[in-house]
Amino acid sequence: MTLHLIIRTPHSSGIFADLLDAFADGDYLLLIEDGCYAALPGAAGLDDAVVAGRIGVLREDAESRGLLARVAPSIEIVDMDGFVALTERFPKSLSWF
Amino acid sequence: MTDTTQSASSSEALLIVLRHPPHGSSWLREGIDVALVAAAFGREVELLFQGDGVFALLEGQAAGALDQKGTHPQLKMLEMYDIERLWVSQRDLDRRGLTVDDLMLPVTTLDPDGVAALHAARPLSLIF
Amino acid sequence: MLSYALLVHAAPYSTQGALSALRFAEAAIARGHRVETVFFYHDGVHNASTLMAPPQDEVHLGERWKRLGETAQTALLVCVAAGLRRGIVDGTEATRHDLAQYSVEPPFELTGIGQLVDAVLTHDRLITFPP
Repeated sequence: MTLHLIIRTPHSSGIFADLLDAFADGDYLLLIEDGCYAALPGAAGLDDAVVAGRIGVLREDAESRGLLARVAPSIEIVDMDGFVALTERFPKSLSWF
Repeated sequence: MTDTTQSASSSEALLIVLRHPPHGSSWLREGIDVALVAAAFGREVELLFQGDGVFALLEGQAAGALDQKGTHPQLKMLEMYDIERLWVSQRDLDRRGLTVDDLMLPVTTLDPDGVAALHAARPLSLIF
Repeated sequence: MLSYALLVHAAPYSTQGALSALRFAEAAIARGHRVETVFFYHDGVHNASTLMAPPQDEVHLGERWKRLGETAQTALLVCVAAGLRRGIVDGTEATRHDLAQYSVEPPFELTGIGQLVDAVLTHDRLITFPP
């Protein structure tokens, strides 16, 4: 028999919901670090028409996680230079956590 | 709901987005600290409570078991710092079974389009 | 060429955030930009600890930040309020608070939250690296 303890709110995994609420026309979503797992085809949370065609995954982080060959075809693969280029194109960035 | 997010006078305001609940981590306190310092420097500051950040406003909070101050005393100082624009995501209240009547301060609620419009209308923002 | 400020909330070694910030800084500089400021806040202040001693076959984050500060003239600013709470103090603060040791040396510099606000207002870009 186990006593399970939980220290997070029931909504603490709602980060994609909050992000999608804030996602406006012309915005772009770059998946980095563990966010890369959202690039798997059929991953929960992002199969929303809102981000279609405006989403990329950071090559280095996808590669280190064994995801590179598995990235959904609709998602662009962006390297570090491309990451910096995105910050040139978009004056503002928000990091969701 | 209201659509004052396009107000030209606020386009240079600093938007602080608060997404974490009180007590469990220091995110909320550290975010509010930035808001208060920016306001003390004379910058117009607005707060957006999104996700679990709406719990920051829940009426009836108290100090923690080891007398941790919590963040509700900080929130009560906002008016003194002229931080009067408090935006709250209505959908995030709904998702948590709350209404504005559960909140300690007067706020303006935004629907999801309003949340997106506010983010888009503020070039300067920090998220905590 | 753009001026960048990086806001680092991530502690060293616990999560990838500090590494992400460092490689972003190097990539931005490689594209001809200036990374003028790195502001360490929340658990990110631990990046400034002069007492870190990682295994030799791992990246030494403290040394890498220091090198960035020296080669790119990047200001390495550490929030004093977040630092004091976490034992991240320089000699001046150690004396002021009657502490036997200090843990921060130049080029890291303890500073107030006002410097973060200033960075938001004066740099072309602010990129946040969370835990």
